[in-house]
Amino acid sequence: MAIGMRHSQRTQLWVSLGLYGYLILTLFVPLGVIALWAFYDPAVGWFPPDIVPRSFSLSAWGDVLSDRHILPSALLSFFVSTVVTLLTATLAFPTAWALAQFPFRLKRAVEVFVLAPMIVPGIVVAVSLGEIFFGLGLAGTVQGIILVQTVGTLPLMIRILTATLEGIPNELILAARTLGAPPRVAVMRIALPLAWPGFLAGGLLNFIASFEEFEKSFMVGAPQVQTLAVRLWSYLGGEILVLPTAAAVTFLLLVPMLIIFFIAERLMKEDVMAAGLGKL
Amino acid sequence: METTLSVRHLTKQFESTRALKGINLEVPAGRFVTLLGPSGCGKTTLLRAIAGITDPTAGEIWLAGRRIDALAPEKRNFGMVFQTYALFPHMNVEKNVAFGLEMRNVAKPEIAARVAAALELVGLDQHARRLPRQLSGGQQQRVALARAIVIEPDVLLFDEPLSNLDAKLRDSLREDLRTMQRKLGITSIYVTHDQSEAMALADEIVVMKDGEIVERGTPVDLYRRPRFRFTAEFLGLTNVIEADLSGSECRLPWGAVRKIENPAERASEGIAIRPEDIGIDAAKGEADGVVEQSMFLGASTHYWISAAGQELRVVTAGGQSDILATGQPVKLTLPPALHLLKTFEPAETPA
Amino acid sequence: MTPVRPTTLLLCLLPGVGYLLVFFGMPLVRVLVNSFSGRGPQTEVFTFTPWITLLTTPVYLDGLRFSVWLAVAPTALSLLIALPLSALMQANETSRRFFGSLYRIPLVVPGIVAAFLVLVMLDRGGMASRILTPLGIALPRLVRDEWGLGAIIASSWKNIPFMTLIISGSMAAINKDVLSAARTLGAGRFTILWRIQLPLAQPGITAAVLLTFISSLGSFVVPNLLGPSYPLPLSVHMYTEGFTKGNWPLVYAMGTLLSIVAVGVLLTYYAIIGSIGQSDAPKRAGA
Repeated sequence: MAIGMRHSQRTQLWVSLGLYGYLILTLFVPLGVIALWAFYDPAVGWFPPDIVPRSFSLSAWGDVLSDRHILPSALLSFFVSTVVTLLTATLAFPTAWALAQFPFRLKRAVEVFVLAPMIVPGIVVAVSLGEIFFGLGLAGTVQGIILVQTVGTLPLMIRILTATLEGIPNELILAARTLGAPPRVAVMRIALPLAWPGFLAGGLLNFIASFEEFEKSFMVGAPQVQTLAVRLWSYLGGEILVLPTAAAVTFLLLVPMLIIFFIAERLMKEDVMAAGLGKL
Repeated sequence: METTLSVRHLTKQFESTRALKGINLEVPAGRFVTLLGPSGCGKTTLLRAIAGITDPTAGEIWLAGRRIDALAPEKRNFGMVFQTYALFPHMNVEKNVAFGLEMRNVAKPEIAARVAAALELVGLDQHARRLPRQLSGGQQQRVALARAIVIEPDVLLFDEPLSNLDAKLRDSLREDLRTMQRKLGITSIYVTHDQSEAMALADEIVVMKDGEIVERGTPVDLYRRPRFRFTAEFLGLTNVIEADLSGSECRLPWGAVRKIENPAERASEGIAIRPEDIGIDAAKGEADGVVEQSMFLGASTHYWISAAGQELRVVTAGGQSDILATGQPVKLTLPPALHLLKTFEPAETPA
Repeated sequence: MTPVRPTTLLLCLLPGVGYLLVFFGMPLVRVLVNSFSGRGPQTEVFTFTPWITLLTTPVYLDGLRFSVWLAVAPTALSLLIALPLSALMQANETSRRFFGSLYRIPLVVPGIVAAFLVLVMLDRGGMASRILTPLGIALPRLVRDEWGLGAIIASSWKNIPFMTLIISGSMAAINKDVLSAARTLGAGRFTILWRIQLPLAQPGITAAVLLTFISSLGSFVVPNLLGPSYPLPLSVHMYTEGFTKGNWPLVYAMGTLLSIVAVGVLLTYYAIIGSIGQSDAPKRAGA
C-alpha cells in the first residue's frame, strides 16, 4: 500500500488547521472589528446590517489625542506599572531567597501566607484597602494605587523567584565564600545575576498585570486618579457607550502590551512562569 | 513465529544533520543484535525509527513480509525498554505490566495470569502492589522488562537500558537479560555505547558511525578480525602499527617479518595487534623494548612499552609473576599472523 | 540548604512577608472583624446585623449564587477547551512555535478589553449578528442576559490561554519516554491523554482550575459591563454598598463570604482529588 502522506503528518495538518481556525475566530476577527470601530466615520455611522463601515475617518483618533484625560492616563499607567514592577522585585527577592535557601520551621506557613493573596478574591483586598486608604488620605492618589497593586503582584513574583533561586546550586555560594566573599556579597554578585531569567519573567508578567489591572485601581484611585484601564471603563460602562473612543483607547492599551508580549516571547523561557504558577 | 525485521535504505534528516544515511539491515528471527557506536552515531535514532516513535525521512521497514513503516507505534507490537525505565509513576507494578494487555483487550483473568507469570520471570512477584518510586533502579528496569515481554511482542527493542544502573547491578541484570532472551527466543535489537556490554549480550554486533553501518559480525569475528580501524579501536584496546607491506607479508619496525592473514590491494591503515596478543618477558622474545609505565589491575596488568620508536600497550593476565619495573628492558613476542586494517570510507561525504 | 542565623532570616523575610502582613493580612483581619460591626456611630459594637442582612435578603442571596455561577461556568468551559488544547500542543511540534506565541495574546489583553470584544461581537447589532442574520440564523441574547453568557464567554476567553499555559507546562514535565512506552504498548492518543497525561499533570490542572475560579469569583468589571441588571454578583454589590451607600459592614460581610467560598472550594477540591488516590502521586512526574 503506497502511503502518500504518513499517518502522523495528516493528523498534524488537521490539528494545525483547527488551532489556527480557533485563533482567527476568537482573536483576529474580534480585534479586527474593534480596529474598524476606531476608524469609522461618525457622520455616516455604522449600523447593521453593514459588516464593514461605509466610510472611514480618523475623527475618533483626533478626539482621543485631543482629550486632555487620555494621554495623561496612559502616561500614568506606564509610570505606575514601572514603579510597581520595581517595588515588587525589590520586596520579593530577599523573601524568595529565604524560602529557596534557608531551612526553617514555619516555612510551609510562610508559603501558604504568600499564596493567600492569590486565593482571596482580589476585590476583597481592593475594597478593604480602598476604605482604609480613604481614612489615611491615600485614596485617589498615585501612591495608593501603587501600594494596592503591589499586594496583587507580590505573591506571584515571590513564587517565580523562589522557583528560580531553588535552581541555583548552593555550591556556587559556598565556592564564593571559600574565595573570601562575605555572604551578602556572594548573594548579590553570584545569585542575583544568575536569577535574571526569574526577574525578567516575573517583571514582565508584573508589568502587564499592573498595566491592565482594573478592580484595585478602580476602588482605590477613581475618580481622581484613573489609570488607562479605568479610563476605558468610563467610555464603556458610563451613561453612554462611546464606541469609537473606546476602540481607540483600547488600542492605546493593547499596543504596548502586545509589544512587551512579543519581546517577552523572544526572551523568556515558558517554563519559568509555569513553575511559579504550577503548584498551589 | 518467523520474523525477519528488514530495514531498507532508511534515512533520517533532522534540520541540520543527517542522522541516518540509508541504513540497510536484516535481523533474522530470534537473534539478539546490538547496535553499537559512539554518541551521535544514529543508533538510538534507528531504534526509534524501528519503534515508530520517530518518522524516517525515507526508506522502508518490513516485518515478516509486511511493510510497517507507515504504521503508528501502537500498532506494531514491539516491546520497548528505555534507559529511564519509563514506568507509569501513578500505577503500581501490576498495573504497569498489565497496561499493554489492557490495550489489546485481553480478558481480565488472562491478564492477571500473564502478569503474574511475567513478574515471576523477572523475580518481582512479591512487589506487585508497589509503586515505581518505591523500587530501586534495577527493580524498576525489571518491571519495564516484564511489561515489554508480557505482550508477546514480535521484536524487543532496548534503548541503553543498563546505562542508569551502577556497575554491579548492570552486570547481574545483563546476565538475566541474556538468559531470558535465549529462553523466550524473541528477536531483540539492543542499543548501547558500551562495547563490553555489546560483546557480552549479542549474537551479532552492528557497529555504527555517523549515521552509517561500519561493519557487523559476531563478537568474536569483530574483535579478532575487524575490517576497519574504527571497529578495532572501538571494541576493546588495540595497538595500530605502521609496517612495510609487500604482498602478503609485512616487515615490522624492529625488523621481524610476519604473514598478513588478510592482504588487501589498496593502501591500508596499519596492522592491528591486541595488547593481550603480545608476549612480554624479561629475557625471551624477538623485539627489544623498554617499560614506560605499568598499571596493576588485579586480574591483569597493563604495560606501556616503547619499542623501535613505537608505543605499544601490552596486557598480561594475572598470575603470580612480578610486575615489571619502569625503565626495565623487556622482550616482546608477536603472534605469527597479523591482521590488516582498512580505512572506513563513509558513503556520503559529511556536509 | 545553608543553616542561617535567625536575625538574617527575619531580615530576609521582612520585605515581602512584612509588606503582605501590613497591606494584606491586617486589612483581611479588619474585613472579618468589621463584618460584625454596626453602621454609623456604634462602630465598636459587636453585632450580627450585616450577616443577617446578607444571608436573608433575596437580592444578596441571588447575588451570591450568581457570583458562584459566574465563577464555575467559565472555569468549566475553559477547562473543557484548555485540556485538549494542551494535549495538542504537546503532540504537535511544528505549529507549536508559531501558534504557541499567538494563543497567549489574551493573557495580556485587559479584562475590560475582553468585555469590550464580547460587546462588539456578540451584542445585539454586533458583528456576529450582522453576519448571521442574513443567513437566517438568530443569535440568542448574549449580553445583559439573565445567565450572564456574555460575561462567561469573556471570562473564558481570557482564561483558556492561562489554563493552557499552566497545564501545558505540567504536561511538558512528563518524561517523554513514559509516553513513548505507552505508545509502543498499544495506547492510542486519546488513551494516553486520559490515562497517562491527565493523571500526571494533575497538580498543574488543579492550580489552573483553582486560580481561574478564584479570579472569576472576584471579577467586577466583566459582569459590570456584560452582565444583567438582575441578579448582580456580590462583587458589584460590594462596590455599590460601599462606595455609594457607605454600608461598609455589609460590604465586609460580603467580602468575608466570598473568601469563605474561595477557601471552601479549595479544600473541597483537594479532598476530592485526594480521595481518587492522587495523594500518593509523586512530586515530579515520570522521574
